[in-house]
Amino acid sequence: MNTTQLLAQLESTDQWAYHANGPTASEPAAWACMALSFYGKHDAAEKIANWLVHIQQPSGAIGITEDESTPTWPTSLAILAWLSVVSHESAHGKAQFHQSIHRAIRWSLDMHGKASPQKSHIGHDTTIVGWSWAADTHSWLEPTCFHVIALKAAGQAEHPRVLEGLRLIIDRILPTGGSNYGNTQVLGQTLLPHIQPTGLSMLALSDTSAEDQRIELSLQYLANSMQQEQSTYSIVPTASLCFGLLGLTAHRRRPAAANTWLQTAYEQVNQQQPSIYKLSLLALAAREDGMFES
Amino acid sequence: MCSHSSSSNNSHDGARCEKGPSRRAILAAGGVAAVGLTGLGLARQAWLPSAEVFIARQQRYDGPLMQTIRDGLIACEVQPSWFQGKRVLLKPNLVEPTRQIPHMTTHPAVILAAAEVFRDWGAAVCVGEAPGHVRDTEMALIESGVGESLRDGGLFFADLNYEQIGSRHNLGRRSTLKEIYFPRSVLEADFVVSLPKMKTHHWVGMTCSMKNFYGVLPGIKYGWPKNVLHHHGIPQTVVDINATLPRKLAIVDAIDCMEGDGPIMGSVKSMGLILVGRNLPAVDATVARIMGLEPSRVSYLNLAADWLGPIDDRRISQRGESWQAVASPFEMLDTELLRPLRASNASSLIKYR
Repeated sequence: MNTTQLLAQLESTDQWAYHANGPTASEPAAWACMALSFYGKHDAAEKIANWLVHIQQPSGAIGITEDESTPTWPTSLAILAWLSVVSHESAHGKAQFHQSIHRAIRWSLDMHGKASPQKSHIGHDTTIVGWSWAADTHSWLEPTCFHVIALKAAGQAEHPRVLEGLRLIIDRILPTGGSNYGNTQVLGQTLLPHIQPTGLSMLALSDTSAEDQRIELSLQYLANSMQQEQSTYSIVPTASLCFGLLGLTAHRRRPAAANTWLQTAYEQVNQQQPSIYKLSLLALAAREDGMFES
Repeated sequence: MCSHSSSSNNSHDGARCEKGPSRRAILAAGGVAAVGLTGLGLARQAWLPSAEVFIARQQRYDGPLMQTIRDGLIACEVQPSWFQGKRVLLKPNLVEPTRQIPHMTTHPAVILAAAEVFRDWGAAVCVGEAPGHVRDTEMALIESGVGESLRDGGLFFADLNYEQIGSRHNLGRRSTLKEIYFPRSVLEADFVVSLPKMKTHHWVGMTCSMKNFYGVLPGIKYGWPKNVLHHHGIPQTVVDINATLPRKLAIVDAIDCMEGDGPIMGSVKSMGLILVGRNLPAVDATVARIMGLEPSRVSYLNLAADWLGPIDDRRISQRGESWQAVASPFEMLDTELLRPLRASNASSLIKYR
């Protein structure tokens, strides 16, 4: 994949959106910031990091867009974006990023998904506290993964909230491996796994001492289902591909064909007006040593 | 957002959900108010809404669906002229697509046929969905087969999970939500057409045209799943969304349906039906009867009844086939919630582990 061209595309815009011509949103901005930063495009990355500082609320939270202050699940991704910027010496001493990280961490640790008493017809442990998509709702898999990844990167790996978050992620793995949005069994029926949440959960579980047979089953599910997707369909689901590769790479199980798959996806993204969100994920997934390796 | 050829915002009542009371009915109601309880009962009957629902049988995905849908809309007194230069958003059900369970999601052939009908009538048509369980909408389009069909049909797809959003006052007020957030393509549409799959639902009994509108709300705001709505009550929020959306229509994919543990993991039940209507409670009440459920016991239909539309069989005018002629009870999970929804013991209950 031509990462030089891809990075030039990321550098050339101030509209960090999920789709071409869509509104700038915090999540794609954060992924773009990380991608640019990890590839040494520090000025462009800092520009996005400053925008995230600009939209940070007094509470420390980041809303989904500049105009929509709630829900605040992208706070976790903003922490990762700022951390990626301050890891380079050019921004290391910039106080505004450190202050933003500190406030965002404090906010994240204060936020709880709703727990509820265990019900017989729900398979997962509803008493475990993680993070929710929106205030006053249940803890779900993906926002919990985002916060666990961010807080681990921020040096909070041993914090009780992070440890409980890891417990939630493992609890939400399906009996035969793989995860979905966060329901394992309902009314006795095991639900379906999906590549994107499984990849994200594997990324969150990397570098932990967690031992559970379902982690290995999940890695096998990822490798097999991604291979099958590639061989079955002419169109590649870009975000799922990237999160799947991030998860496998974090466990040193990157498929040999990964770069070919990414190249195909990149060409596909460029057949239309490209999405900054997808380009950023492609750049991060292209790092053969893993997302956070320098 | 959807790309459209018209930005006209003229409104008309052509597709408002219920036939409201006529001036004559209001005067009549006023006149009889003085003559006692019997008169009041008559006045109430005059005030209550009525609606048409069209049913076509022996339908196939490779059959002349465009003709069926066109006939159905006209049978429900829809005027083709309403759509000239208007923006029509088609909303299929793509909640958690997988090739392993094609009867979970709206079949692409139904979407394309509906699109062609409205295009023929001069509308700018796009298809939009905010899949409820998957963040990767591209994956949902691939797994459902809908993405490929839309490309072949030259139709634009609006990813409602990630568009610019705007809020509207909650006109339903059955839940405590003060506002409801919609994506731009929904806010700008002149008509929003629900294209649901006819399915059982393990929490509320059934899902059809009204519940399908959960999928016009953006995941970026409500989450995956849209748990904000669950916490405010599924029946209440279904009704609130339907009350707040503007002009609506329903075209139901009831060819291959889902029974048992719907809306995701149930079994296929082939019915070969297409249903069409301008009034969504009336359409869903008819679907309930076909499935063997008593509509007044389905919580969201009970909340919507006589307000958003009729669910009483006497005030639903059946066009095409009668529901009695096509009724075939669906298997339901044997739970305390679902058991009482059955109209009779004809529909079998299946145990869950």
